[in-house]
Amino acid sequence: MMFRTRLLLVFTLAVVAAVSLVELLVVGNTRQTFERMEAQRADVLTRQFRKEFERRGSEMVRAVNAIAGSEIAVNIAVSPDPAVWYTEAGQLAASHGLDLLELVAGDGSIISSAEWPARFGYKEDWLAAGGDWRKRGAFLRREELPGGTALALLAVGTAAAGDRKLYVAGGQQLDREFLSTLVLPEGMQVLLYRNLEARFSPAELIEASGPAASAERLRPLIEEVRTSRREAVSTVGTGADAETFHAVPLSGDEDNLLGVVLIGSSRRELALLETSLLLNGIAVAAAGILVGIALSWWATARITRPVRRLVVSAGKVAAGDWNATVEISSGDEIGQLARAFNRMTGQLVAQRERLVQSERVAAWRELARRLAHELKNPLFPLQITVENMQRARERYPEQFDEVFREGTATLLAELAQLKQIVGRFSDFARMPMPEMQRVDLNTLVGDTVKFFEAQLSEAGVRAVTQLDPRLPPVQADREQLSRTLRNLVLNAIDAMPQGGTLTLRTAALPGVARIEVADTGQGLTPEECERLFTPYYTTKTHGTGLGLAIVQSVVSDHGGTVAVESEKGRGATFRIELQVTS
Amino acid sequence: MHKSGPALLLLPILLASATRPRYGGTLHVEIRSSIETPDPPNAGSGIPDLSPAFHITRWEAGRRAIFESTETVPGGRPFLDSVEVTMGRALRDQSIDLELGKADLIELGPSEIRRQPPARKVWSSSPVRVLALVFGKLVDDARVREALALAVDRSAIQAVLLQRQGEVSAALLPQWLSGFAFLYPTATDIARARSLASGARPLALAVDDPSFRPIAERIALNARDAGLTLAIGHGSDVRLVELRVASLDPVRALAAMAVELGLPEPAHADSPEALYLAERALLQGHRVIPLIHLPDVYGAGPRVHGGPGVTPLGEWRFENLWLEGGRP
Repeated sequence: MMFRTRLLLVFTLAVVAAVSLVELLVVGNTRQTFERMEAQRADVLTRQFRKEFERRGSEMVRAVNAIAGSEIAVNIAVSPDPAVWYTEAGQLAASHGLDLLELVAGDGSIISSAEWPARFGYKEDWLAAGGDWRKRGAFLRREELPGGTALALLAVGTAAAGDRKLYVAGGQQLDREFLSTLVLPEGMQVLLYRNLEARFSPAELIEASGPAASAERLRPLIEEVRTSRREAVSTVGTGADAETFHAVPLSGDEDNLLGVVLIGSSRRELALLETSLLLNGIAVAAAGILVGIALSWWATARITRPVRRLVVSAGKVAAGDWNATVEISSGDEIGQLARAFNRMTGQLVAQRERLVQSERVAAWRELARRLAHELKNPLFPLQITVENMQRARERYPEQFDEVFREGTATLLAELAQLKQIVGRFSDFARMPMPEMQRVDLNTLVGDTVKFFEAQLSEAGVRAVTQLDPRLPPVQADREQLSRTLRNLVLNAIDAMPQGGTLTLRTAALPGVARIEVADTGQGLTPEECERLFTPYYTTKTHGTGLGLAIVQSVVSDHGGTVAVESEKGRGATFRIELQVTS
Repeated sequence: MHKSGPALLLLPILLASATRPRYGGTLHVEIRSSIETPDPPNAGSGIPDLSPAFHITRWEAGRRAIFESTETVPGGRPFLDSVEVTMGRALRDQSIDLELGKADLIELGPSEIRRQPPARKVWSSSPVRVLALVFGKLVDDARVREALALAVDRSAIQAVLLQRQGEVSAALLPQWLSGFAFLYPTATDIARARSLASGARPLALAVDDPSFRPIAERIALNARDAGLTLAIGHGSDVRLVELRVASLDPVRALAAMAVELGLPEPAHADSPEALYLAERALLQGHRVIPLIHLPDVYGAGPRVHGGPGVTPLGEWRFENLWLEGGRP
């Protein structure tokens, strides 16, 4: 991954992380604020419901006291035959807007019942035992009705005439009609759980429109209030359908839990607001991230420009352009780096020149040594032959002709060797430019093996060829490449004086054609491998040390590479790789 | 004295003309029962009692019947020209019609009786109707039937719902007819009823006459105290019915009731003891639970004079009635 890409990635990640963090903080704080507002709203709604409930209770008390204070109540109280009043409660309840009304004699016997007319004569002992009802106000009580048990908001009034007393117990059922008449703000709903059974019963949870559909959802909240008898709050549902319910326990006249009012406040508006806020936040964050990425792009481009120049210059240096320099445009660390790079390349150029000079000197010295060594061998016989010829003329003139003939023959032979030595040096100095043509390397390898058949047989070397039929032809100078292979084969034969196996192998690699020449000779040390392609370096007792130097020169002129792999005692493999051009 | 002389003479004349029967007019009668037979009934009380002083001229089954006076009847023509009977009229509506002058003679229910003004003419018969619970054939457990018989508080029903009309009784024949109705116990025994009703299935209580629904509700409440569930509505388990004493002969009356209730024909009785045993045999097993004997009670409007228009047996006697504003 490029430095610039990495830097851009780091900057982008930093921007995304920072923007996300800010977004999370903003959304979190806003949500908390909304939740606080929602809780306050729900609290207000709960108080409002309580007030409404108390108001309804006060209405009950007023209505009941109005009946108790009426003339008809006194008449009923003093009536010698209460039976004649048994339908009165129904009429009074209708005229005072009460669901429930019972007129009860001082002994607790029902004279008339609006909700259950047939119950006349039955006892309501709790009224006589209730004490001063005027101070009680409205209260909750479970009432037995023809259709079953109901929860009722009741008030009790008393009418007295002399020693006769009449209880007026009236009120309203806490049922869906009651809930539907409550004045509630928009977005609020009230549910009532009538705690009339020992266990939770979904049918006892009602709302203004009838049985509550969400009974099971609210069961845990109701169970909690039933257990603790304290107010509880819970949010039911998710998203825009979520509702927060405040559960308020309703205690009866005997401090028993008779009901649970669930004041539900829809979280739809809050959810929509939060969603809107979140979407806006995401949009702003996305815009911020995009701007951040753009700025990061610009910043990374600005920061990495000198680095890229350094990279380009370093590439040039690596490619051999040691004069490459970097423009210094700042005084920061990058500028210092560029300055150091320029200084380093300058020193490298100087060192290279010094090295070239010293190598040149060393090469001349080596050349002189090699020339002296190569020339010394033929020169010595020349000297001896000439001295023999001089000695024979002076001392044995009759044999001079014969000595002269033999001596000139020797001289000519040694001069031919000298000429050969000089020719080799001359060849190396005059390596011509390759003349490129399509060359089939498999054919070239086969021809080379054929060329050396007799010599290989004489040396006891078995030749093996492993040719890759997929090998494509390459652009090369056939003559030079043939000479290169011959040099390598000759070296291999020399490396196996006791005989062995010579393997010539070709292989088609992606974009590359490979030729390997492997022997099973004594191998090379790593140090020998390193110096093997140095001109005039040889491990043999004979030779000029130019063979492998010529091989490297030819392969290099063809844009290829040559390498050697070897271990001492396990032979050596020379590998030539040439580019394949389509 | 001279100045007041003519006035003193005129007053007795006016009084005499006001009390003297007058001919003509139509007596508007309203009843709650609705007789659905294609032809007018010719036996029983009520409409059949109009003959022979009146003869029917129009019959609309279940709605209306018009009778006209018979000129040639022995004893002379009735004062009324005609009698129009409207059927199927609720007791409350009858009271309203009487107040508004749309009706001259109506039936009075228990709750209406105490609301009548003091000047209202109220004619009452002896207790000639029996209010009773009748079990259907599906209720074959006598213990359940007895439980209900022991649970019903007849006194409360009579005192409150019927405003002390009629007589509490556990007998089919009224006391005035048989003389031994008091022998049948009417006291409640909720504890025993509870033990008898243990494990009983819910029963359906049907009410033939809507005006008896409050009584049915009270019976259901009493039954609940005994552990019996009675659901008021349609069904064939128990019915709250009204029977009429069809004859002044108690033997015949009992036989008629047995037929009407689908009970076996009672054994022939030629003595009060035998009749008692016959009635007790009918009531044994509590297939029928007599509750209360009720009289027929009628209220007459201010136009109606003469009478009473109802005999102690609840028969209509309209030939002696006359209406104000008729011809002399």
